[in-house]
Amino acid sequence: MISQAIVHLRDPIPFPPSVEEFYPPPLIAGTYPWLTKFTLLVWVAVGLIIIFFLVAYRNPQMVPTKRQWIAESIYGFARENIAKELIGTEGVRFAPYFATLFCFILLTNVFGLIPGIQISPNSHIAFPVILAVISYVLFNYVGIRKYGFVKYMKHSLIPPAPWFILPLLIPIEFFSTFIVRPVTLALRLFANLFAGHVILLVFTLGGFALLASSSSLIKPLSVLSWALAIALFFLEVLVAILQAYVFVILTSSYVQGALAEEH
Amino acid sequence: MAGDPTPKRPRDDDEAAAGANQGWAAVSYLIGGILVWGFAGWLVDRWLDTGGIATAIGAVLGAAGGVYLIVRRGGA
Repeated sequence: MISQAIVHLRDPIPFPPSVEEFYPPPLIAGTYPWLTKFTLLVWVAVGLIIIFFLVAYRNPQMVPTKRQWIAESIYGFARENIAKELIGTEGVRFAPYFATLFCFILLTNVFGLIPGIQISPNSHIAFPVILAVISYVLFNYVGIRKYGFVKYMKHSLIPPAPWFILPLLIPIEFFSTFIVRPVTLALRLFANLFAGHVILLVFTLGGFALLASSSSLIKPLSVLSWALAIALFFLEVLVAILQAYVFVILTSSYVQGALAEEH
Repeated sequence: MAGDPTPKRPRDDDEAAAGANQGWAAVSYLIGGILVWGFAGWLVDRWLDTGGIATAIGAVLGAAGGVYLIVRRGGA
């Protein structure tokens, strides 16, 4: 990052940042888009999560070690506070998925804040879309498996209402359950991470842009810009955790809705 | 946390989560209602060349339907 900063000082500052920032070049020529910083980070995240949980649970103790305690806390949180609280005892079988989803989103979000990495794969729409598709297929699949296709559709599309308003309500139900849900799931994560990255870029690069100004009255303002960048960094830490949590909570609430006996 | 029988967390947590879910559901019904029936109205407008009145009626009807669904499904 320091070397990058020096480059920025020497060259004309690439300000304002553009959408180009979200299309990193391929790591090896000719592999675009299959081998970029984003895909590498996704594999790193997958590897880190697998290794962490394998190591933490390899030799479980009655009195847990620190690593084991962290792993158990994460899984316990997904199991007790998300799966059981929202879905009930029936939800325990989804706890591994919720825990994995939470860890993966949290870790990939946090990549956006680690110096040297500083961008999250989730700030590219493709990755949140795939996560949303997985959750979408999951909640529809469990609903169809429990009720059968026709009954599941009835159950999710026909609200308890007099017959003459049903034509008004069924399209709304369809739109909000089968279109709005996956779209907002993906967009919420993507937009938060995208905006977070742009904001940090604006204030960091903006500091250099101000410093490069010819007026000595404007130069000191760069300090203000960087101070804001640091403050916003902490906001982004909060966003990274919150968005991982919200994604999992909403997934579990959709699963709960698909399994619910009666609304 | 997973190993030992933890006492139930205070209910605030769950209520906050349930509240957030209901909030998202309400927003999606309301916006969904306006968009779906507003779009239907817009199609009618293009078809009959009625200059926007059908879009307005559709959006209002959709909003009403959305509110109705929020009340019924949200258990208010």
